[in-house]
Amino acid sequence: MNWLMKQIRKEEWSPYAAGVLLGIVGILTVVLAHALLGASGGFENLAGYIGKAISPSNIYFNDVMPAKITYPVVLLVGIFFGGMLGSFSSGTFKIRTMDSEQWKTAYGKQTWKRWLLLFVGGIIVEYAAGIAGGCTSGLAISGGMLLAPAAFLFIAGMFASGIVTALIVYGKKY
Amino acid sequence: MIYVIALILGVLFGFALNKAGLTKYHKIVNQFRLTDMAVLKFMMTALVVTMIGVYPLRAMGLITFPTVPATYVVGNLAGGLLFGVGMAMAGFCPGTAVAGAGEGKLDYLVPGLLGFLTGAVIWGLTYQSVFPKISAIANYGNVVIPDLWKINPYLAVFVFALMALVLFYLIDRMGMHRKEKKG
Repeated sequence: MNWLMKQIRKEEWSPYAAGVLLGIVGILTVVLAHALLGASGGFENLAGYIGKAISPSNIYFNDVMPAKITYPVVLLVGIFFGGMLGSFSSGTFKIRTMDSEQWKTAYGKQTWKRWLLLFVGGIIVEYAAGIAGGCTSGLAISGGMLLAPAAFLFIAGMFASGIVTALIVYGKKY
Repeated sequence: MIYVIALILGVLFGFALNKAGLTKYHKIVNQFRLTDMAVLKFMMTALVVTMIGVYPLRAMGLITFPTVPATYVVGNLAGGLLFGVGMAMAGFCPGTAVAGAGEGKLDYLVPGLLGFLTGAVIWGLTYQSVFPKISAIANYGNVVIPDLWKINPYLAVFVFALMALVLFYLIDRMGMHRKEKKG
C-alpha cells in the first residue's frame, strides 16, 4: 500500500502508466456517459456567450455550439481540478507566471513575450480545432480510440507541421 | 447526473495529463523535436487500451458508440496542420492548458484560456463561410476504419495494437529518437 501511494505521488509517471489510466478513462467515458472526451468543444460553448453579443443571430452560437453550460464545459472544469489534484499529490502546485526553463532558451526570458505567444498560440489551436472537428482530446484521442480515420489524418497533419514549427523556432538548437 | 459523471471523468483526465507531464511546455515541444517521445507513447497506449475495451463491448451488444468524429479528409488534415503550428509554438493544447492552469500556471490560465476563447469566437463568426465548404470535400461521415474498409474489428484492433508495440520497441530498445544536444 505504501508502495502504491509512493507511485501515485510521483510527479511524473511512465507515459505508459499514464496512458493506461487515460485508456481506462476513455472506456468509462463511452460506457458511463455515452460520449467522448474533449476540450476544444467546451471553449466553443463558452465562446458562444461572447459571440452572441457580437453577432446575435449567428447560427453557430445559437444552434451549432450554443452558449450553454454543456457536458464539454463541465468536463473542462473537471480537467482543471484534475490537474490541480495531480499537482497537489506530488506537491508541485505553485502559482506562477512563467513556467519553463526550456522556454527561456528558445524565446528569451521575458514573461510578456510568453504571455503574448500563448495567447496567439491559443487562437491558432482553437481555430484549427474548429476546422478539423476537434483537438488532441476530442479528435486525436477520442476519435483514435474508436479507430476513426479523421483522428489519424489530424495526427499526421499535427506532427508534420509541429515538427517543422519546432525546427523553425529552435533553428540550430533543434 | 451526466454533469456529475462529466466532472469525475474530467478530473481523471486532467490527473492523467498531469502525471504524464503533458502540462509542461518542454514535454510537448520536445515531442516535436523528437527528443522526448512521451506524448506519442502516452497517446498510443491510451488508444490501444480504450479500443481493446470498447470494441468487444460493442460486439457483445453491451454498448453502442457515441457519435464518432466525422471524417472529411481535407478539413481533418488542414486543421491538423494548422493545429500543429500553434501547439509546437505554445507547447500546449486545450486539454493540457486547462490541466496546467489547475496546477497554478497563470500563463495557461490567463493568456492561454483567453486565446482559446478568442479563437473559438473567430471560428464561430467565420464558420458558415469555411465549414460547409471544407467539410463537403471527401466526406465519409461518422465512420470508423473497420466499417469503412469492411475488415473485422478485432483484426483492426489487433493490428493497431501490434503497430503500437513495434513503435514502442523501436523507440525504447532501438533508441530511434534523437538525443538532446548538450550545452
